[in-house]
Amino acid sequence: MRYRWLAVATSAALVASMAAGCGRDSGGGQEAAKDVAEGKASGEITVWAMGTEGEKLGEFAKAFTAENPDAKVSVTAVPWDSAGQKITSAIAAKATPDVSMIGTTMQGEIAKTGALDPTPTDLFQKDSFFPGAWDTTVVDDTAYGVPWYVETRGIFYRTDLAQKAGFPDGPKTWDDLKAMAKAMQTKAGAKWGVNLQPGKTGSWQSILPFGWSNGAEINSDDKYTFDTPQMTEALTYYQSFFSEKLSPTNLPEGALEPAFAKGEIGAFMSGPWHVGILNEQGVKGKFAVAPMPSKQSSTSFIGGSNIAVFKDAKNRDAAWKFLQWLSKPDVQAKWYQTVSDLPAVQSAWDDTALSGDPMLKVFGEQLKSAKAPPAFPTWTQLAATFDVEAEKVCVGGSDPAAALKAVQSQADSIGTGS
Amino acid sequence: MTRDRVAKLSLYAILCAGLLVVVGPFLWMLLSSFKPEADIRSVPPTWWPSTWTLDHYRDLFDRLDFPQYFANSAIVAVLVTAGNLLFCSLLGYALAKLDFPGRKALFLTVLGMLMVPGMVTFVPQFVLVSNLGLANTYAGLVLPFLAGPFGVFLMRQFLLAIPDDLIEAARVDGAGEWRIFWRVVLPLCKPALATLGILTFLSSWNNFLWPLVVATTDDKYTLPVALALYAIGQNRIYYGLLLAGAVVVVVPVLIVFLALQRHFMRGIATTGLK
Repeated sequence: MRYRWLAVATSAALVASMAAGCGRDSGGGQEAAKDVAEGKASGEITVWAMGTEGEKLGEFAKAFTAENPDAKVSVTAVPWDSAGQKITSAIAAKATPDVSMIGTTMQGEIAKTGALDPTPTDLFQKDSFFPGAWDTTVVDDTAYGVPWYVETRGIFYRTDLAQKAGFPDGPKTWDDLKAMAKAMQTKAGAKWGVNLQPGKTGSWQSILPFGWSNGAEINSDDKYTFDTPQMTEALTYYQSFFSEKLSPTNLPEGALEPAFAKGEIGAFMSGPWHVGILNEQGVKGKFAVAPMPSKQSSTSFIGGSNIAVFKDAKNRDAAWKFLQWLSKPDVQAKWYQTVSDLPAVQSAWDDTALSGDPMLKVFGEQLKSAKAPPAFPTWTQLAATFDVEAEKVCVGGSDPAAALKAVQSQADSIGTGS
Repeated sequence: MTRDRVAKLSLYAILCAGLLVVVGPFLWMLLSSFKPEADIRSVPPTWWPSTWTLDHYRDLFDRLDFPQYFANSAIVAVLVTAGNLLFCSLLGYALAKLDFPGRKALFLTVLGMLMVPGMVTFVPQFVLVSNLGLANTYAGLVLPFLAGPFGVFLMRQFLLAIPDDLIEAARVDGAGEWRIFWRVVLPLCKPALATLGILTFLSSWNNFLWPLVVATTDDKYTLPVALALYAIGQNRIYYGLLLAGAVVVVVPVLIVFLALQRHFMRGIATTGLK
């Protein structure tokens, strides 16, 4: 997420100009979805997918074409870097494929261009997906596309250091997290108790979970609400890790994992992909994952990707049938085994490959209540403001309430974009 | 004598320090492309790999359809460079040496185009290319870059310095306009052409966003796009693969530079004189 700020900024500007000039704006109201014709899929389905998903999906889709012999799935792998720019340019030129993977945080601005086809209600059951994941597809009360895979955040901690610090099972509450971080420094020899992102791009993904766990909501209906007492309290708590020297403010890129391996950093907040990185670093068996420490609740961030069909799709019905196939629980579980993407469909987690893994279990539990920011078209712009203000709070020591007020006034001036 | 030696020594010391600053990152890139992933991420960074590995290069050539991407990059960069050399020198010559109505306005237009950031024209340009049916073709990758305002400006400035008398003399001898351009003017422009050539080649070779957007199937991707696809994930960067790829991408540029180095230096020297 961190490396795409430029693309996000340019595509945000682009979408803003397109929404104004293109005349196919989704209009603000609910949009009705057309049903999909019965029968097997046929014809060529063109798909854009990012990174590893793009690399592996073509081969994976052979199982689909085996069931639908008249269909052909052509996958183009798109780099994550500037993917938003590629999609929005294609929309502007009406040169979209039938299907594209869409990062959850891009969903709002892309759906707002009016280029996405509403999800047919006859093919998909909302309840089969994690609720937080489904919410990321919804713009102006209409779902565009379906969640494909998900990820969420938890606290990674060194089990040996946590033992010495007196928290053998990891932190459970806000107070635990603070006490464990302190004890890791005083009793377990860690230089830093816990690493939290000190502002900068994407830091909202670490900070908002603390707010949500404290009962804060960043939007009510069609308005952003950043400057609430709950969010202020959460940001003050987050800031205290830096002011009390429990978290580093200037850790270089890539330094986290080696420091964690050496025991210099006792814990950090991140997502499931870090399991693989840590195992590569030789820390296997020395760490565990705890859910978000709770205050009023334990509520984390849900990210990942959706997959959607474009209105200009040449092969709409077959495209939706392909997405329906991708959303089957057994296909989702098999996809996890192919690329380690966590299933967005809840029942896929009954598969032993997922339910048998203790670390995944933590993420699986967390996902049931995890939340995403609203899919407002202006969200990426506002997230950038939030990250800048968060940096002032964490590194510069400015007042959390004032920072949130600044975010709120920016939110009030640009609106939600709906 | 000793004073001279001290001066010389300190000069070399300064030059060496400068060289280290310039070459250091490249050296680190080269050495690190042979390190295991954990080694690359170590803090403080190390120079020498703790164990040498070819894994990243193997990964690069196994997973990427390397010859295809390399060929795409080379085709695009060579055509774009050739186009720029031809068209920019033609227009530069016209603007510098030929008298025709609207010359000044044309030159001002070229200067104006220099001031427009690429981001502004990016999407309209793509819509245009797409409507012409050129999306996902080599033509779509090459055509928009065949001539650029910077190249025209550079050539015009250089051509201004060529004495009019030389062109007059050729005309008196009965040479036609084409002949004058090809036989008299162009050979004198070698330094400027070398400069323009390497700058164009470099920017085309490194171009990322345009090929990313224009190519809609992987077989039209250029090297930087392919590299970004494999080395930059949603939540992490594969540094080893990225560095190995960077090494491989840099080599052709180095070859072009070394080949044109002599002219290039002269080009910079002469543009500096004016």
